[in-house]
Amino acid sequence: MRETPLSNCERQFLLTAIKEKKRLDGRQTYDYRNIKITFGTQYGCCIVDLGKTSRVLAQVSCELVAPKENRPTEGILFFNLELSQMASPAFEPSRQSELLVKLNRQLERCLRNSKCIDTESLCVVSGAKVWQVRVDVHVLNHDGNIMDASSIAAITALCHFRRPDVCVQGEEVTVFTPEERDPVPLSIYHMPICVSFSFFEQGTYLLVDPCEREERVMDGLLVIAMNKHREMCSVQSSGGIMLLKEQVLRCSKIASVKVAEVTELINKALENDKKARYVFEFL
Amino acid sequence: FPLRRKRVLLLRGKNTEAMLDSFKERVGEVLLPGDVFSFESPGSESNIQDKVICGPGLRRNGDEILVCKSGILRHKEPNLYWIDSQQKRYVPAKGECVIGIVTAKSGDVFKVDVGGSEQASLSYLAFEGATKRNRPNVQVGDLVYSQFIIANKDMEPELVCIDSSGRANGMGVFGTGGLLFKVSLGLVRKLLVPQSEIVKDLEKIFPFEMVVGMNGRIWVKARSTQQTLIVANILESCENMTAQQRRTLFKKVAQNAS
Amino acid sequence: ETPHCLVHTMEVEESSTHPTTALREFGCEQNLLSRPDGSASFVQGDTSVLAGVYGPAEVKVSKEIYDRATMEVLIQPKVGLPAILSLSAGHTRFSLFYLCPVSLLLSRRYKASLCVSVCLCVQGPQLLACSLNAACMALMDAGLPMRCLFCGVTCAIDPEGHIHTDPTAAQERESRAVMTFAIDSAERRVMMSSTKGSFSVSELQQCIAVSQRASGKIFQFYRDSVSRRYSKML
Repeated sequence: MRETPLSNCERQFLLTAIKEKKRLDGRQTYDYRNIKITFGTQYGCCIVDLGKTSRVLAQVSCELVAPKENRPTEGILFFNLELSQMASPAFEPSRQSELLVKLNRQLERCLRNSKCIDTESLCVVSGAKVWQVRVDVHVLNHDGNIMDASSIAAITALCHFRRPDVCVQGEEVTVFTPEERDPVPLSIYHMPICVSFSFFEQGTYLLVDPCEREERVMDGLLVIAMNKHREMCSVQSSGGIMLLKEQVLRCSKIASVKVAEVTELINKALENDKKARYVFEFL
Repeated sequence: FPLRRKRVLLLRGKNTEAMLDSFKERVGEVLLPGDVFSFESPGSESNIQDKVICGPGLRRNGDEILVCKSGILRHKEPNLYWIDSQQKRYVPAKGECVIGIVTAKSGDVFKVDVGGSEQASLSYLAFEGATKRNRPNVQVGDLVYSQFIIANKDMEPELVCIDSSGRANGMGVFGTGGLLFKVSLGLVRKLLVPQSEIVKDLEKIFPFEMVVGMNGRIWVKARSTQQTLIVANILESCENMTAQQRRTLFKKVAQNAS
Repeated sequence: ETPHCLVHTMEVEESSTHPTTALREFGCEQNLLSRPDGSASFVQGDTSVLAGVYGPAEVKVSKEIYDRATMEVLIQPKVGLPAILSLSAGHTRFSLFYLCPVSLLLSRRYKASLCVSVCLCVQGPQLLACSLNAACMALMDAGLPMRCLFCGVTCAIDPEGHIHTDPTAAQERESRAVMTFAIDSAERRVMMSSTKGSFSVSELQQCIAVSQRASGKIFQFYRDSVSRRYSKML
């Protein structure tokens, strides 16, 4: 299906508004939309809302598989981001669009290559059985900045997830159901979070957390993945704009502030959910 | 006038009255697709002829009237009934004025996106004062306010920017500036009612220009970017507000603006 | 601050005369996504489904059908790739593909496409029934002209021959047969059936009768949640 075209009038208005430091929804230049984190009934299911419109769902699941030959003592992480047509009429099913490939790559770089998850703890029997942890991210409604929402949803879902407990006796592996033994959380070293910056007029103006219409008029995008210890996990610039060193440094400073805020929010949400589950079990 | 398509039912006799009563009883109620109003045997004859006009959401199906959209049953004297619903997708109808986005120029026509299931065509000559030599200045991406002269399931929808006497009558290409945004078709109908409360209240806050298309697109332009944004945001938020909530919001905005 | 959507849950009481038509709590939210023309989420017991509808929208020339609207149903399982559907998800897709045209009045509107996109948020036992309900609410939200509404009801027959509507996961595992019916709102007729396991003809008839009774509660729930939604406009 075709996406509604962007009219010249909207484009002009957006650019003038950005020059006047004004945004469509009344936010300031560096403001994020309201982030809402909710959890499903199952472990490892997390929904992230950006404002009232952008919405992403992440689900973590796991299964026992044979490890990769070159890494016999490491568990496997698998990421899959889906752009369903529900999120936007422009997303076509079963097509590897450029955007989809870009988002999947970025998610992998942010969460796998940053080694934020202890893959060695996912090994059950060296060379024979390891856990494969799978993260499925579904974009449910696209109103810009899918990348940040996806990275928040994915890392929160990973923190929330519990895998079944196992017991190894010789060659035999017993997997316990949640009723028999409490499932165990993954061991996570740090939480990398993506922060997107969109640039306008060849980098003169900059916005944090662009909405869909802002994304359509932007010249370039810079995505910085960082954790709360201010360690950079990945930096990616797209759109072919030239950025000065100072601009990138400024963005990284803003990112560190945003990441600290978001991490705080995630921890609070996880804690609330834990309390709610605890109360629920007692009832 | 909130109606799009009119379907006239000619009903005869006592049953008509019974039917009208059953209709009147449920005005203001929420109805769901599949709800039926039936009038029994058409046998009894009488000389009174009554017309029932069915608006959007109501269809005639033999001796019954079928509700085919969810929403509130509305009535207007004498015998006009329709379902007031909150829909997003636009279906073109002849005579309606819409805001279109020009997507292409091909031969003698512009292709225009109106948000329906097909792109509409708009001839170069369907502008005031346009001739073969004197073509209107329209670029791809421009907005046009125009009216459907053809809109049916068998033909490509066609738009014009002139009325029957060849005058622009408010239609044509938009000038620069202003902001376009999308709301539900229900809200658009509310705004287009003559003496619309929302519009009247909004005009009191500060002056602005507004064009409302039946396809759910609204264009506004106020003195400054800030004011345009305020108007757009207020209109968008009217979607889910009761009249009471809206009045409180308008008061607040008016205080801040002055 | 007003929410842009409504959450409405309702506990359906167990009726004393027909203990077998007991249904668990439902929840429904319409118009919760901004991009699709219509959207709805439906929660039934442990199962939760999100549905989005686009249409009547533009159709590609290659997909155009000369005498009717093009239907497309996309199912997105929460875990795994959408291209590889599980049996139940595939079945849901198939059912919706045939159910939607029956309940919609779109027969004459060709050169248009209709896309129903369903995301299975929490996969529970009544995936099919819940997806049908979510899709119906989404179609209603999109404002597409409909002849009637439809809903899905699941029944399970346990080894002793008792019929349970809306079975839990455990009940479903132990049951001898599981059936799901799609029932229309106009005459309470069966529009689609899906069965698994073995059962007698009289058991099938009993299940249909029970489902028809249970459907009344679901349709009442539809009416209540739509009324809530429009209450602001009254």
